[in-house]
Amino acid sequence: MRGLLIFLPALGLAQDASYEKLVEPVLEARCVVCHPSGSGAGDVSLGRYEEVMEAGIVTPGKPEQSLLLRLVEGAAARMPKSGAKLKAEEVAGIRKWIEAGAKREGKGESGERVWWSLRPLRPGAQRTIDGYLEQRLREKGLRYRAEAPRRVLIRRLSFDLHGLPPEPEEIAAFDKDGAPGAYERLVDRMLASPRYGERWARHWLDVVHYGDSHGYDKDKPRVNAWPYRDAVIRALNEDLPYRDFVRQQLAGDVLYPNDARAFEMTGFLAAGPWDFVGHQELKEATADKKLTRSLDRDDMVANAMGTFVSLTVHCARCHDHKFDPIPQEDYYRVQAVFAGLDRVDRPYDEDAGVFARRRELLEQKRRVQLRIRADEDEVEFASSPELTELDNRIQDASLLLAHLGTPKNAAEEAEKKRLEDRRVADRAARQKLIEGMTPRERFERIAAGRAELKRLDEELGRLPKPKLVYSGASYFTRMGNLRPALEPREVAVLGRGNVGAPGKVVSAGAPRLVGGLAHEFGSPEEGARRAGLAEWIVSDGNVLAWRSIVNRVWHYHFGQGIVDSPSDFGRMGGMPTHPKLLDWLAVWFRDEAKGSLKQLHRLMVTSRAYRQGSETEAAAEKVDAENRLLWRMNRAKLDAESVHDAALWLSGKLDLRMGGPGVRRFWFKDDHSPVYDYARFSPDAEQARRRAIYRFIVRSVPDPFYERLDCPDPSIQTPKRLTTLTTIQALAMWNNPFMVRMAEWFAERVGGDVGAAVRLAYGREMRGEERAPLEEYARKHGMANLCRLILNSNEFLFLD
Amino acid sequence: MRRRAFLEQVGAGLGGVALAQLMAGETHHAAKAKRVIQIFLSGAASQCDTFDYKPKLIEKAGQTWDPGEKVQLFQSNPGVVMPSPWKWKRYGQSGKWVSELFREVGECADEIAFVHSMQSKSNVHGPATFMQNTGFILPGFPSAGAWVSYALGSLNENLPTFVVMPDPRGMPPNGPANWGGGFLPAAHQGTQVRVGQAQPIVDLERPRGGYVTEASDGEGLALLKQMNRRHLEERPGDTRLEARIASYEMAARLQLSAPEVLGIGQESEATRKLYGIDQPETEELGRRLLTGRRMLERGVRFVQIWSGADNGFPRRNWDSHENLMKDHGMLARELDRPLAGLIQDLKGRGMLEDTIVYWTTEFGRMPCSQGSLGRDHNPFGFTSWFAGGGFRGGVSYGATDEWSYKAVEQPVYCYDVHATLLDLLGIDHTRLSYRNNGIDRRLTDVHGQVIRELIR
Repeated sequence: MRGLLIFLPALGLAQDASYEKLVEPVLEARCVVCHPSGSGAGDVSLGRYEEVMEAGIVTPGKPEQSLLLRLVEGAAARMPKSGAKLKAEEVAGIRKWIEAGAKREGKGESGERVWWSLRPLRPGAQRTIDGYLEQRLREKGLRYRAEAPRRVLIRRLSFDLHGLPPEPEEIAAFDKDGAPGAYERLVDRMLASPRYGERWARHWLDVVHYGDSHGYDKDKPRVNAWPYRDAVIRALNEDLPYRDFVRQQLAGDVLYPNDARAFEMTGFLAAGPWDFVGHQELKEATADKKLTRSLDRDDMVANAMGTFVSLTVHCARCHDHKFDPIPQEDYYRVQAVFAGLDRVDRPYDEDAGVFARRRELLEQKRRVQLRIRADEDEVEFASSPELTELDNRIQDASLLLAHLGTPKNAAEEAEKKRLEDRRVADRAARQKLIEGMTPRERFERIAAGRAELKRLDEELGRLPKPKLVYSGASYFTRMGNLRPALEPREVAVLGRGNVGAPGKVVSAGAPRLVGGLAHEFGSPEEGARRAGLAEWIVSDGNVLAWRSIVNRVWHYHFGQGIVDSPSDFGRMGGMPTHPKLLDWLAVWFRDEAKGSLKQLHRLMVTSRAYRQGSETEAAAEKVDAENRLLWRMNRAKLDAESVHDAALWLSGKLDLRMGGPGVRRFWFKDDHSPVYDYARFSPDAEQARRRAIYRFIVRSVPDPFYERLDCPDPSIQTPKRLTTLTTIQALAMWNNPFMVRMAEWFAERVGGDVGAAVRLAYGREMRGEERAPLEEYARKHGMANLCRLILNSNEFLFLD
Repeated sequence: MRRRAFLEQVGAGLGGVALAQLMAGETHHAAKAKRVIQIFLSGAASQCDTFDYKPKLIEKAGQTWDPGEKVQLFQSNPGVVMPSPWKWKRYGQSGKWVSELFREVGECADEIAFVHSMQSKSNVHGPATFMQNTGFILPGFPSAGAWVSYALGSLNENLPTFVVMPDPRGMPPNGPANWGGGFLPAAHQGTQVRVGQAQPIVDLERPRGGYVTEASDGEGLALLKQMNRRHLEERPGDTRLEARIASYEMAARLQLSAPEVLGIGQESEATRKLYGIDQPETEELGRRLLTGRRMLERGVRFVQIWSGADNGFPRRNWDSHENLMKDHGMLARELDRPLAGLIQDLKGRGMLEDTIVYWTTEFGRMPCSQGSLGRDHNPFGFTSWFAGGGFRGGVSYGATDEWSYKAVEQPVYCYDVHATLLDLLGIDHTRLSYRNNGIDRRLTDVHGQVIRELIR
């Protein structure tokens, strides 16, 4: 586990009165958010000592004349504008510093005191991966291991880029290719294969916590989530530039109008869990409904910020971020970006003309709905004692009818009829009461609006049937108590995150901690806000975003990120082991590769660092046991999907058809609460042969096989998976019906040829001393049992 | 906990192997309890029909309910004051009022510490059930059992540390996500045990009817070990490779120990009767609770047993919106005898001393009627209770108002309950943390006060 690399300001403890000890930490923690170096609010910048002194807010030796102190002192302090007032000891420190002459310790021009991830990109001079790494190794008296043998390299590369073993023909071709550049050509062939997108989409879906059901209670299947999964696979295979990759996921509908592919990518917005009961069953305007919506936006904020800029902005939901310069208000400004959205199926069309027409009609519907909403609400939420009485009777009947179910005898039949009749009468009475209470003009306005909606629906009905993707939308047809926002809902800062304590209303924006970027996009237009956030992320100056993506890719290739907390670049995250390398990769990826992920992969996997052996060495272990400096390659364990796909591949029955609805590896019964049963699924089923990326991922009931192989909970963002080796995992590998059947098919495929089994599974020839025991076991217990052993062996499960 | 977390990543079995095992049992302070058995009443069991006695409901029966403020209900508008359809009686030396719905548990009242001032942050089953399990109303967090497993490890490496026995009628709201390990290593998630089924633990048994035989299995494991050993010799120093070899040995031991622990046939007639296994209505829960005791006896740390399944019709959980008498009646009849039997059995064996029996539900029910025969959700006040393991007996803590509507005295969230449970297990809840995505996560989030008044 990583150490606690936090710089806690040692306030009140410092004996001397220097700027560095008493003032800088406070300014950095509380002030530079709004007053960063060079571009502070109100033309006051507090990022550097010189700026503080030039701002004219400090009079050395005279605290009473120093504006800075007046602004932050006392219960009525005007600064900081958001969050708690400065602590008494912090203010006392500033006072002491001014009294002592407002000096600093350092000589020459002061540096900016900014957390590493927020500093400008400074790549240094080496400009190759190996250049940076080897310099650090040399400093420690270490060096790379020798290049791994070719059969090791190709197996490593194949699982890394495809999640599958290398094809025997590919191994042979690579072996024979004696010309220079053989490895590079292999890399290019592999990156050109569609298997690449399938493999790397899985990593991305971990990060964005994708699932095919909602989660929580009554976990309903999310049958139109998969177009997003397919869109990610396609984007990776087509090497969509990273800028567009980001833009499409946050605002593909806005920035690429009528583009079906970009529209599918907005599935990102709705990737996380969703509380069906809270959204669809809870009544409008209740405290729990507000909480449900606030937490739903919270999930969107956490997903967007964690994924694209590796910030834990969501830590500022209840209070200012405790470790990073993110005031609570900034968190709610990001919430406001998503304030117009609910998670629903959205229609779209391949034909751009049809799609455009559909969008136009839906926009018209939205406007009509907006026009009549107030009138409709008056009717829906009308209340009087008589109405309440009737509502109670109607609900009572409904409850009793539900509880009664299908009548089993005459008495129950009669009871059912009685309740139904009563309910019909009560509903009629209710309608009459409402009519009596409502001005006629209101009904007329509603009727006119509904007639318009009907006409628009008819026109929509004449368009070809649309496709659907589960995404975020501000207009859709109401389902139960899930009502479209129509326009962004108001977002206020919530005291301690409590929906009952709304404070200042905020407009949409990005966190202000990255200097030099436009961070306000408080448009009334829902889509413009998301587009604004997307542009903020992909702008050249967003150092977090560019560092974040290159570090993620590094993490998957090398087994450990340059920063080992890929979704947290704040003070609670890790420090980069090679900051200049990280910065160079970020700059190179942004400027040279123009955001091409394939070029980035190529750069990393062709490095000598990647190609070295994974064997350990006692002397180097003593210096760097965790291999943070990469003096050897990390030995990787196959993840759940790779085990599944490789077993299928060995069986010879892997079905490589791409895309489409999730493969249900369970028995399913739709009900009030749907039932998912993995025990009642046969590995012989046709659909069981598809790659794991296509499996239907249920949030509430995880597939025990995958769960035991460390597949993460799809309800949490997982930037890096844990690797465990447990007893129940051994049992899953050994006894799970899928694995047992794969071994049998694997055996059928190789016939009695033990050597062929070894060659396919391990990518090497059988050794002389192995032959006797393996063949003897196969003779005695059959080839299927031997293949079962191979699938359970460490050599199959680990990549050197 | 950092060293421990590292070791678990490189290799851990059900309770951790090798070095990790050495640290199992390390606590922050002396523990009063070694293990927990939790009964989760899914769907929200009523407090005012079980343990929270309010004469006012009888006095004002059928009258308009006016608690003095607007009441926001989950589904309905408030109905009239509805007294419990069950009679109340005082039990034990403590004179605790318990309704006849739980008369057998009532006989154990002197062993029990009741908390009547429980509150939930959500009025919706999914989030509220998460909250009682994980301390958060969002999905994705480790359950209390997983935290206990992470903190204390196993007392018996041949058995899982955290065992869950769901209601055979179906999964509770949120499904197995309720006993998930969240971001903790997979070894700590609850292992589902399905009592009475052919495969009580998924993939535990050798596959039947195919090519695998007892001999192919046995000799196969020996050869596999040999293959893995040779592989390891060429790659010295990789503890993961060793841990994986060990995991197959432990799997084989689990295969042997599981049938023994599940074999309640070995229990005496008297014990089986104590759990109500001789009666059709109580047999099923009796078997699960007795199996739970056998597991605790053999070193399992945390057993979670569910009464109540999903939300659906006919009702199979405690969510009695429609017909309280029928549905609470049925579920209580299934549970009362076996649960009382568990307490009596643990006491008889001297195990109650260091075993916590813990009754939980996700929230309570309203003192007014919903429709004519049901009760709606009440997140503002409900009852949890504890027996054994250092808890005082025959005490009640906190109180709801005169209606059993809102917790007004010493209100308690699950944070305080979890803090107290951990405290009795020897763990300081503020020091049990795991860093995930930039936050040092705790079972008690940023909250939690140990309720000292409940502790002996």
